[in-house]
Amino acid sequence: MSAAHSLSIADVVIGDELPSIEIPITLQRLVMEAGANRDFSLMHHDVGVAQTTGAPDAFANTYFLMGMFERLMRDWAGPKARIRKIGPLRMLIFNAVGDTVRFRGVVESLDNNTCTVSLAMWVDSERGQTVTANAVIELAG
Amino acid sequence: MSETSWGLWGSWDETASLLGKQVGQVTGPDPVEQGSIRRWLEPKEFAADIHTDVNAALAAGYNDIVAPASMVFTYGIAAYWRPGDKPASIDDVPTQIQIPVIFDVPAPCDKSFATSIEVEFFEPLYPGDVVTCTSKLVDIKPKQLKVGEGAFLRQEDTFTKQTGEVVAISYLDIFRFVATKVASD
Repeated sequence: MSAAHSLSIADVVIGDELPSIEIPITLQRLVMEAGANRDFSLMHHDVGVAQTTGAPDAFANTYFLMGMFERLMRDWAGPKARIRKIGPLRMLIFNAVGDTVRFRGVVESLDNNTCTVSLAMWVDSERGQTVTANAVIELAG
Repeated sequence: MSETSWGLWGSWDETASLLGKQVGQVTGPDPVEQGSIRRWLEPKEFAADIHTDVNAALAAGYNDIVAPASMVFTYGIAAYWRPGDKPASIDDVPTQIQIPVIFDVPAPCDKSFATSIEVEFFEPLYPGDVVTCTSKLVDIKPKQLKVGEGAFLRQEDTFTKQTGEVVAISYLDIFRFVATKVASD
């Protein structure tokens, strides 16, 4: 994103969908992610340990999901937006190696006085809806 | 969804004695800097100039390159190993990020999983900032679920920078329990 446009509250209406992001979960991506976000819990990069928790393979950690929701909002709203809140974020199904996941979101409500927008976001994959999260973002004006 | 672990064993009275109290505090070992931001963006294919280009960040109203808001968790995590520490193996209790309501709060439970997290963001993080995470046990709700009997423990984490400014406050809900025994014939 270079010299990106920032959304203003006047650009947004309830029901607007955020451009979705599709991303494949590979072990390499999870290993890079663990190294970068410092969540080295074994189930996120070790298939043997992951399977003892009932997961089919190593699976994405919470910080990856948080970060991807932040990317979903940033890609949509632009550089001048301020992310105020993410959550409650609920993990429903594992996002495991081999899955291709899609991050999606929709505008639920907006406040013209504070220039804030409430979003409902979720992740889906071949397994169904895997994560849900709400968020509040303050737009440029 | 499970992130199983053993946790610290103790009585419910011991759990209750910590309600409302600080149960952990960690200062992240590394200050915010451009390299760690770039490596965090990379696996997410996250391209936003405010995190990498000072001019773009200034144009967006920041004082410098700004760390992604949700990176506050990363900068508040303790170091994992010291020289000479034994590497983790499959038979060990998993080495996890600090979750004091599992590992430092006693409870008569041998299993746990996270159910929900929410975080509110305040001051931005800039290069050079150092993050301290202070954890409190703020709620205990006994509950019988299909997986077992136990309680939801709510951990409040307050992330501050070296100036004392609050960067973020998060709430993590953990269900700690003893697994329900399956009756056998």
